[in-house]
Order: sequence, then structure tokens, then C-alpha cells
Amino acid sequence: MPKKTVSLDVTNLENFIYDMSRCIKCKGCTWVDHIYMPGIKFSTRCPSATRYLFDSYGAYGKMRIGLALAEGRIQYNDKLLHILYACTLCGACDVGCKRNLDLEIELTLEALRVKAVKDGKAPLPQHRRVVQNIMAQHNSFGASPEKRRNWLPQEIEPSQKAEVLYFAGCSASYRNSEIAQATVKILDVAGVPFTLLEEEWCCGNILYSIGMIDEARKIAQRNIEEVRRNGAGILLTSCAECYRMWKVDYPKMLNIATADLGFKVLHLTEYVYELINKGLLKLTKPLSLRVTYHDACSLSRLSEPWIPWQGERGLWGVTSPPIPRRRGTNGVYEEPRRILQSIPGIEFVEMIRKRENAFCCGAGRGVKEAFPDFAAWAAEERLKEFKEVGAEVLVVACPWCKNNFSEVIKTKGEKIKVLDISEIIADAIAMEVR
Amino acid sequence: MQLRWRLGEKIMAFPKEVYSILEDIVGHEYISADPVICEGYRAGPAGYECGLGYERVMTRVPGCVVMPRTTEEVQKIVKVCNRYKIPYVPYSTGFYGARSHPHVENALLIDLKRMNDLEIDEKHLYAVVGPGVIYSQLQEEAMKRGMYTVIGGGGSQCSAIANMIGDGWSPLSHRIGLPHRRILGAELVLPDGELLRLGSLALQDDPFWGEGIGPDLRGLLRGYTGHRGFLGIVTKMAIKLLPFQPEKLEPTGVSPNTALMLPEKRVKWINFTMPSFESIKKAMYEIAKAEIGAAVTRVPLFWRIIARAGSKEEFWELWSKENEETVNAFFVLRVLLIGFTSEKQLEYEERVLMDIVKELGGEPRRTRPTDESWFKNADSAGMWLMCGGYVSVDYVIETIEHATAQCKNFAELKRSYTPPLMPDYADPGWFQCFELGHQGYSEFLIYWDPDEDTTRVDHFYLETAKENIRKRFYTALLGSHQPLYLTGPAYGPNYHKWLLKIKKEFDPNFVCHPPFPLSHDFFVEQAEWMKPLKDWGSPNLNEILPKEIAALMKTSSQSKEK
Amino acid sequence: MKKLIANIKSKITEIKMNLIGEELIKIVGSENFSADTSVLEKYSRDYSLSPPGRPNYVVWPRNAEEISRILELANKYQIPVIPVSSRVHFYGATIPKQGGIIIDLSRHMNRILEVDELNRRVRIEAGVTWKQLVEELKKRGFRIIMPLLPHPERSVVTDFLEREVPTNTVYDYGEPLQSMEVVWPTGEIFRTGSASVPGYPDSPSRGANPAGPGIDFYRFLQGAQGTMGIVTWANLKIEYLPKIDKILLAPVKDLSYIIEFLYRILRLRIGQECLLLNRINLAIILSEGIDQDFEKLRSLLPPWTLVLVLSGLQRRPEEKIQYEEEALRNIVKNEFREVQLGESLLGVLGAGKKLLKLLREPWPKETYWKHLYKGGCASVFFITKPVLAPKFISKTQEVAAKHGYLPEEIGMYIQPIEHNRACHLELNFFYDPKDLDDVEKVRGLCRALYPILLNEGAFFTRPYGELAKLVYERAGSYASILRRLKNIFDPNNIMNPGNLCF
Repeated sequence: MPKKTVSLDVTNLENFIYDMSRCIKCKGCTWVDHIYMPGIKFSTRCPSATRYLFDSYGAYGKMRIGLALAEGRIQYNDKLLHILYACTLCGACDVGCKRNLDLEIELTLEALRVKAVKDGKAPLPQHRRVVQNIMAQHNSFGASPEKRRNWLPQEIEPSQKAEVLYFAGCSASYRNSEIAQATVKILDVAGVPFTLLEEEWCCGNILYSIGMIDEARKIAQRNIEEVRRNGAGILLTSCAECYRMWKVDYPKMLNIATADLGFKVLHLTEYVYELINKGLLKLTKPLSLRVTYHDACSLSRLSEPWIPWQGERGLWGVTSPPIPRRRGTNGVYEEPRRILQSIPGIEFVEMIRKRENAFCCGAGRGVKEAFPDFAAWAAEERLKEFKEVGAEVLVVACPWCKNNFSEVIKTKGEKIKVLDISEIIADAIAMEVR
Repeated sequence: MQLRWRLGEKIMAFPKEVYSILEDIVGHEYISADPVICEGYRAGPAGYECGLGYERVMTRVPGCVVMPRTTEEVQKIVKVCNRYKIPYVPYSTGFYGARSHPHVENALLIDLKRMNDLEIDEKHLYAVVGPGVIYSQLQEEAMKRGMYTVIGGGGSQCSAIANMIGDGWSPLSHRIGLPHRRILGAELVLPDGELLRLGSLALQDDPFWGEGIGPDLRGLLRGYTGHRGFLGIVTKMAIKLLPFQPEKLEPTGVSPNTALMLPEKRVKWINFTMPSFESIKKAMYEIAKAEIGAAVTRVPLFWRIIARAGSKEEFWELWSKENEETVNAFFVLRVLLIGFTSEKQLEYEERVLMDIVKELGGEPRRTRPTDESWFKNADSAGMWLMCGGYVSVDYVIETIEHATAQCKNFAELKRSYTPPLMPDYADPGWFQCFELGHQGYSEFLIYWDPDEDTTRVDHFYLETAKENIRKRFYTALLGSHQPLYLTGPAYGPNYHKWLLKIKKEFDPNFVCHPPFPLSHDFFVEQAEWMKPLKDWGSPNLNEILPKEIAALMKTSSQSKEK
Repeated sequence: MKKLIANIKSKITEIKMNLIGEELIKIVGSENFSADTSVLEKYSRDYSLSPPGRPNYVVWPRNAEEISRILELANKYQIPVIPVSSRVHFYGATIPKQGGIIIDLSRHMNRILEVDELNRRVRIEAGVTWKQLVEELKKRGFRIIMPLLPHPERSVVTDFLEREVPTNTVYDYGEPLQSMEVVWPTGEIFRTGSASVPGYPDSPSRGANPAGPGIDFYRFLQGAQGTMGIVTWANLKIEYLPKIDKILLAPVKDLSYIIEFLYRILRLRIGQECLLLNRINLAIILSEGIDQDFEKLRSLLPPWTLVLVLSGLQRRPEEKIQYEEEALRNIVKNEFREVQLGESLLGVLGAGKKLLKLLREPWPKETYWKHLYKGGCASVFFITKPVLAPKFISKTQEVAAKHGYLPEEIGMYIQPIEHNRACHLELNFFYDPKDLDDVEKVRGLCRALYPILLNEGAFFTRPYGELAKLVYERAGSYASILRRLKNIFDPNNIMNPGNLCF
């Protein structure tokens, strides 16, 4: 067969015909890595496949459905859209597949959503509201843009210019001010000046995630321009979703490398870890807590820098130049753990499914908006694991996770405490007792 | 009875009446005839033995998928299929590839993944599982309790039951050998819906023992390899676990480089460089004679390159530097020692092993204190990485002599089919010691690029069967894996007659995974490029199949994709 | 008129029987055929309590082809056949239940065909006895795992087909049977497993794989009591004789305690042979004669004795024994202080050495050990979980007492299987076959015992005689499917009918 020109561009599903047609149904996408398999319980890491059970909901089913769609053998219907969208794009499937096979599952799933939008079948009616909110008010909640900075504590003043630009994100701005506040408090105590965007817009996560790539790209272009204009060298965020958008999907949409953004994108945990190592931050206040940590998908599996690629694929599927693979190996796994383990008094236990095997909280990438039952179910599944490990506090690194877990905890009347890691860090350096 | 199929009529949908009866049985959440759902259950285009003629010609997307939870539900479903003449296929993970998927239009696929209970009797060394339980789950639960199981070469992701009645061997079979021995009490829903409780389940609810009352009907579960589901559905099985040792094998690393850290005083792999192919064989005989070891296997160069390569591209870069000379000068023996009794036992076995290897002129190499593969067998999916297509075209479990004799023979035969087969420089494949040297096991894996013309791969597959008959080798790929009317007269002789009689007796309506066991016979009839190879007799379908199924096969062949 | 019809029928039968006889002679030759009453009589009873049943003919075929032709004949005339390979029988399976032709393989089909030392395999005809085989293997430094003290004149192939439980607990692959040649009841000659290759044994295949082809035929022949086909030869696994053996014995008062000990040590893969024998059984086995030292032994022996053999194999044998002993010592010291494992048994000189020899060979005396005490023995045996053994034993003693059988007279044997995952539990009831009251007492006791044991969960995998009916009644579904299967291989039900559920 003659060689084919291929790229990792998700606007063209043809680029992923190879990946869709090479899935062997090993379900590495669904099961926890077998080396880490904990036993009969907590054995999967794909919420969609676990919840809906039919093969079609796992990546291995989606690859076949995607191929049929690409080849015109199948028509859109409600089921197909449910299969495409009742999925948090958590990347478990991508990482699972790449343990052995290196198929670009995540990109294929993104490309399928882009195609669904292009074909006029998406976004779903359930997405319309949040889309409107982002387009009109530049935040997911449809809240007033003027109130976006209301979270800022009076005693802390951002600088006009600084190396660090804090990107609060919609959730921290409007729903989880405790996270934004804790973040800037940490910076303040560490003596790190920070700046804010004059007019912070939503990062566009939902738009990109549901396949509205053109709209998302416009936002990306605008947002990057704002940061470049600002001149900050580091874009700091305490939201895993924003982190992934800025670090991975923005460059992806613009066909540039993460390294070419013109600034570094860091999550709070990465930055705090650096600060601790440099001696600029000391987490010395003992916290007598038994905690466990939930790896946010976008901070862990999905967080490796983006490298654009275009090339040829020939015999045996060999690509030239070789596709640079993002396999989730170098996600932000260690830093949050080291931080937690360094705080005196903290007893740290791992979740059963940890790091690249973590079970998504269920909130992200349009799922909470379109399928709240499914999001709640996923959170409940993860909370079962929490109870199994006997911790007191569930530490998260993303307001989406925090909110989704909190809602379920409230509905079910559970006595579980969820805290964002920013809050724990802030506590460990604060003088007063929370 | 409604005659659902007429010759030439295109079938539109799964019958509504049957759908609603099935919905009553399992609940509406666990059944679907939606074309998108069903498409997700397609066999190919990739997978085991996929991307080949057989998969393209023979497999179909199901007309309906149902997910039962209990044996009673399975029985009811099967009885409905018999009453309404609905072909059905039992399905656990679908990983076996083409042959685990429907071969006729509008079949019912019975997805057993919800039957995933697991119980362990630690004192008596067995686990009771449903078809939805996979090996890595079972292995972990076993290891937590000081036991272990043999995870078949298919991998950790295989359904333990499906693998136990299909294949079920790995280097860890060194001590126990055939997986047949590990089957205790079990439940089999026969194709006509009757429930057969095997072993101690025939008399009580504890499946602790597998032998029959008198003759052992576990013989119906499989042959050398399995039936691929044409003789009923196993809904429960007690599987023997083997005593292990008490230290934990700690999982380490981050994907894709995850491995189990071995407690080296109790579990240890050692690789040896040996001077020749013969010396590896001799070592196996001697190790077996000394009754030591927990796994003894030859490592082909190919595997070593796969282990070193970080990607497909890197593999090809490394592999292209090798040639027939380097391949045939690579003699590595890999031995696993387990200190079942104590640390001292492992030390003893290591001394004995070193004695043997030294006598044969071999030398130990530096070996990582980890296991990436066999305990959890997490690597098997990697078989597709290099080329995209893979199948084990043959495997032999016989004496070490026989297993290794076929190695060389096979390598020669393969030459003339390369390309399209992946160049492996006449590597005689891998083989291992089995059942403490009473047997040896060799396996031949072939790889191809599914985008290339695979006609000759189909030919090669069939040619292997003929070669086995010519050379009088005992091959695993009998039954439904090759044309039954080709292998049948040669082996037994006429094992096929008995097999078909048994099939007819227990599946009079021929609804259980048609047209097995004749699937490969059908393939040869229906694929133009296979016809020139046919030089054996044909089944008289009118004698074997009920006319509805015969008609269905004819209709199916008309609607097949080329 | 009725008398006339009866006479005609009788005449027709006579003619038919004569015809059959003639045809049989044509197949095997007159020297291998008999219809003599005195000869037939020998096959009509055995050591079991089964009622007698006389065959019509006995033939001694020379090869599988002759057997095949005999079976074709049997199908033509719808006359039963009963395959016989041993010279002694304990369970009644070879007593004709509906008359018929005894096909006795023991005279001619008793060759050791191959001893394949390299692959540790032996191929033997069905008529090969334990005595024959063990002697031949011993000469070459080999052995075969064995049940407890098999009768020297029993067919090895038959005993393994009937799943006699080996005394060796350490091999994960317990079953020694590999591939076989069988003549199906229809008369077709067939090879199972890897012997099924064209031209076997002139093939690279040596017959080492029992499985397949296509389906596991070998399983249908196991436990079949000759009802599914006639096996003419089989491949079996053999093992090397250990270089060093060390036999350890422990007196046992508390059976539950020692069974827990076995759960612990057998899981560590310690030992080769390992078994438990109660006082009376061990006294019989060890004694020089019932009228000699039997009573003394009975008084000296503990209620039970644990027999455990440690073996050093082909390489560094002393080191193997060393590490096993060390492990044993540690467990006894730290966890099972009451166990007194030693190389001798208090008061019984040379017990260990004697037992070790006995365990590796068929029974050496003229009279079988089970018949030494009173002349007759009815054995009740089944598979169960070892922890349940004491419960079954106490139930048995209860029932025995009710039938006037003294509990201390019951012979008992517990054979752990594969690391003690299960066990064979055997109860021996001795009786004087010449004393009809004694015979009836034991028969009645067994009849009363079977349902009780069944209710308690005893798993009878080898139900002989009248026990079969009882067991299959409870396993009705299994029985009906078994019959459907048998009907495929034996559509005329000529193969040893009246046994099992057939």
C-alpha cells in the first residue's frame, strides 16, 4: 500500500482511521493496568464502560463506531450521540491503550466530537446553555463578567506586572472562591508577586471538549494574545481543566508546540513544589488528618505537553518521522503527593486506583452539563473507593472534582470531607486554625 | 413457528417479538438492538485473527445484544433462541477475535460481562468465577491469599472461564501443564437450554471437585483447544489455584513501563545465554528431570527486541538490524524460580539450575528483578504493536522433541509466505517446558499488515493444517480452527464425525454459534481465493444443519462483504 | 400353544447363540474362545458384594482389530460386551449384568509397548499389570505414581481410568493418563489426544497429550467402568525414582489437628507420598500375618498414623531433604507442637522402612491386604474436603454401631490430594465371605450408610454397584445428559450395560 500523509489534527477524522481500525478489543482502555489490578473490586478506569456496560461505550466500541461513521456505514442517532458524549474524555483509555499499542484514542474521541459538530448533530441540547454562557458572558455560569474578580481578598493585591499570572478560571472565580483565595494566599506568603488578566475569559474547556473547535480556537487565540501582551512568563492555575486547556489544547488548536506558547503553564501543585524546593515555602503547621488524593485527569494523564506532528505512515503502520507519543507517563503525579506527605501530621494513603489508573470524578468535558446522573454516578463510584481506604479527607486538585464530589456527598448524606489541595497547602502555612 | 428466513431475502431487523421476550428476562437496561450499539460489537477490522479473509468473510455485527446476570437468565434466553430459531453467540470479552463473534445475520450476542462474581476458598485452593471475571482480577485475589493461577497467553484481559475452555497455557504451566486439569465444578448451559452441572455441582452447591460421577462430562467443555462457544455457555466455574509463596509482588512504574517487583528471595527470573538451540532443549529436559523451576522458556530474539523497543518505530529500527544469522545465534533460556516452601528451597533450586546450565555450557545474564509479563500477563496486547495483525497460527503441546521439531519445520514453511508475513528471519519461535518436562509447548505467531493483500496469509494458515497432517504433527488448531472435513478424517481418525454427532445431539436446532464447528469449511467455500486450496471432502450440509440454518448460511454468504 | 412358542423362541435363541459363538471363533480363534461353564463361572463373581451374573462367552482378543470385529458382531446381534483387563476385580463392574461376551484383554494384550525415558512416558496395553509395570520401570530407575497398595494383578490402565487416587500429593498435574487407543462401542478404532495423528506411533507425536482431538474424548472414558469403550493401550506419565527417601511417621490422636497440619505443610509442597491410615488398616498392612503380630500391632499403634515421605530427587538430593525438613521443623516448633514426626513409630520396629517399600510397589502378598483380616472387604469411598473428614467418620461410626459393626473394626484411609485441596476418604468394612450373616450385616450397613453420607455432602465420583443408582437418582440431570452422550457412542447399549446409570 502506498504511504499515507497523516497528522494529529483533530479537525479531520481521516487522520485517525488507522487508530480506529487497529483496536484489538483488549480493553486496556477500560481495565486498570493489569500490573496494578487491585482485584475483583475497583478494576476498571473507564466510567462510561463501567456505567453503561455495552461494549459500545468503552473506547474499544467507540473505535468501531467511529470507523463506521467515517466510512458512512452508520447514521447518527440518539444512541450514537449518547455514546460520544457520555464520556469525560478522561484519557484513561488513551493511556491504557498506549501501555501496549500506541493508538491515539483520546484524539480520535476528540475528532469524533468535532465531526459531530461539523455534521450539525452536536452540541447536544443539554450543552446549549453553557455554550451560550461562555459565548456571551465568557464564563460557564452565565454570571456577570464584572463580578469575576470578586473572590480577591482585600488584603491581597495583585501586581500590574509579574512573572506569574494567576488564571483563576470560571469555577474558582464564581463557585469556589476558597480555591482562588487559598492560591493567592500561598503566593502572598511565599512572597511571589502575581498578576491577573485584565479581563479573564473562560478558557473554553467545554467548547473544545464538546467539539466546537472553531469557537474554542478563537477563544484560545484571544487568551494567548492577552497573556503574551501581559508579558508574564508563567501562567499559573489551580484548575486541572484550565491547565490542560492552556497547556495542551490551546497549542493543539493552533498547531504549535506547548513550548512555543511563549510562557510556561503550571498548575499550583507544580509551582508549590518548586517553591518548597527553593525554600520559599515551608509547610510547617501540623495538620492531623488522614488524607487521600484523587488524581485529576487533566492534571495527570492528559497533561503532557503538546507536540504537533505531521508525517507519513507506511508499511506496518510505521510513521516517519515517528509520532511523538504522549502516554501519560510524565503527568503531574508526584508533586501533589510529595506536598501532602511533607506536611507534618498528615497520614497519607493512596486511593486504590491511583495516578494513571485513577477513576475520573465524572464531571468534566461536558458530562456534568449533559448527563448529571452519570456525573453523580461516577463520583459515587469513586467515593466507594475512598471509603474502602479509610481516609478522612479527599484531597483534589480541581474545582470540578471538588464540586462533583461535594454534591454527591451532600445528596447521599455522607460524612466525607473534600478539600482542594490549595486549601490544605494554605492551611499548612497559615497561623490560624481553620 | 415463523420461518424467518427465505433464500435471498435481506433481513432487516431482529424480530420484535423475541426482543420483548428477552427484555422481560433481563430488563430493558440490558438489551439493545440499536444498530450503533451492535456496531460496537463488530469483530474487526483489528483483533485476534482479524484483518484476514476469515474475519472479513465470516463475521457479522449482531442483530441484538443482551446482558444476563444469572444462570437462570442465560437458560431462559437460550430456550427462547431454540423456540424461535434465533442463532446466538456467547461472548465474554470478545478478545479471541473473529471466531468469538456472530457469523450469521441478526444473531443474538449474549454478552456475559455482568456475570462477574468471584469467591475464593482459600483453604481449598480454588476460586469460583463467572464468565465476566478476567484473569488479572483472579490473579490479584489469588495472590493476596498466597496462591496464584496460570494466566493464559491470551493475556490478563481474557475471561478466565473463556480462556480455561479455550486455550489456557503460559510459561507458568511448567508445573501443572494442561489447563484442563484446573477445571473443577462448573455449570454449562447446553445449546438446547438444559443445565449441566459438572463435578461436585452435580450433587451439591460446592464446586470444589471437578471429576464426573462416573464418566466425566467436562469432556464436553473443550478439546485440545476450545469450541469457541458452539457447545453451550459456561456460566460458572471453579478454578484450581496453586500454592504460591507469601511475599508480595509489588506493582511499580508508570504506564507504559509498569512491572511487578519480585521479592527475589522467593521469586526470581534468571536469563541464561546458551551455546545452541539443542542445549536449550537439553536444559529443559534436565530441569524437568530435576523437578525444579516454575517456568522454563526459550526467549526468541524477537521478544527481546520488543521488550527493548519503546515504540513501533523503534522496534523496526532495531529489528531491521537483525538477520537470519543473528536470530539463529540468539539462544536465551529464561527460568523462573519460586521458593514455594521457603527461601532455602529457592536457593536449592538455583544451585541445581546453575549445575545444569554450567554442564551445558551456558551462562547466567543480568536479569531484572521484575516481571512485566507472565504473572499478570499484562503484555499480550503488545503482540499487535509491530504490524497491526497477529494470530497464533499453530501451537503444539506434545513432547519437547515434538514441539521443537515442528519449530524448524514451520519456520521453513513460513519463508515462502514472507512477505506478506512479517520478516522474522526464520526464527524457530518460542517454546517452553510443560508439565515438568512430560510435555513441551511451542507456539507460532505470525504478523502481517492488514492494509496489505492478505490472501497469502489465509493460504498459509490453511497450508499449516495440511503440513501438520503430512508430517503427522499434533496441532492445536483442529475443530473449528481449520476446515473440519480436512482435519477430521486425518485425526482419530474421523474425530469430526463424533464431534458433529455430539453437536447434533445437544444442539438439534443448530442455534448455538452457527456454523461452528464448520466455520472454516464455510470460509473456504465462500472465499474465492481459498477455493484453489480445497482438495478434501465437503460436509453434506443438508444432513448436518437444519434447513433454516442452512438457508441462513446461504443468505449470509450472499450479503457478505468482499 | 404357549409352550410351543416358548420352545420355538428358546430354539431360536440357542441357534443365535451358537451362531455368535461360531462367529467369535472365526474372529479370535478357538483357543481364544470359551463358552465352558467353568470358565464363565470365573467371570460371574468377584470380590465385591455384587450379585453374580454369568456371561455367555469369553474371548481373549489379540489386538484392536479383533476387538473391533467383536463389537461389530455384538451390535449386529445386540448382545452386551464386558471389557476386562485385570485379573482381579473389587467393585463388580466386570460382572455381566445382562449376560454377554467377556472381552478379556489380560491374556494377549498385556505388552509394555514403549518406555520413553527421555519424555518420561510409558505406553502400555490394557492388560499390563502393576507388577509387570513397576518391575520394568524399577529396572530403569523409574516409577509411576500409584494408588495405595494396588493389587499386583490389576490393570494399570484400568486403575487410572477409574481414577484411583495416587498417594503422591506434590505434582500439580495429578493425572498420569495421556493419550489412548480405544475401540468405540460401534467398533471403530480411535486414538485420543496426540496419538490421534495419522500413522501414530510412527510420528513425531509421541502421544504425550491427552486432550482432543476436537473434544476431550479421554474424559468420557474416565470413571466409565467400561461402558463407553474399550481402551486397548494408553500412554502414561512416569517419574524418576527418587535418589533418597526419608519416611516420617507421626502418631495421631486428634484427627482434626493433624488435618490442619496437613493443610499447612502440603501447601508448601513438602513431601512426596502423604497419607493417613487408621490403626486397623495400618496393622493389617504392616503385619506379617493376622495370626502373627496383627493383634500386637493393633494394640501398639495409635488411632491414626500420618505417613509422610520426603524425597531427594535426581540432583543434590540431600539438600532437598534438608530444606524440606527445616521447613517442617519450623512449622512444628512454631505452630503445631503436638505433632511428633519421626523416622520411627513407637514400639513398631522397622515400620518406616517397611512402609516405604510397600508404598512404591504393588501389594506383595498372595492375599490382598484388604482380605487378610477376614477374607472380604466392602469399601466405601468418596472425595471430600479434608476438614470434613472427621464429620464423615463419626457419622460412619454411628451407623456402623447401629448395624452391629464395631467402630474400631472399620478400616479408614485418608488420602490428601494435590496439596490437600481435597481428599479421598475410604472406609473399609471387613467381613467373612463364608459367613452369610456377616455378609448381610455389611451389605445392610453400606446400604444404610450411602444415603447418609450423600446427605452430608460426600462426593461419590466412582459409584460402583448399587450405589450408582442412588447417586444418579440425586444427580438426575447429570445422568440424563450422560445417557444422551452414551447413546452417541453406543446406540445399541451393548457396552457393559447395567452399570452406572446405563
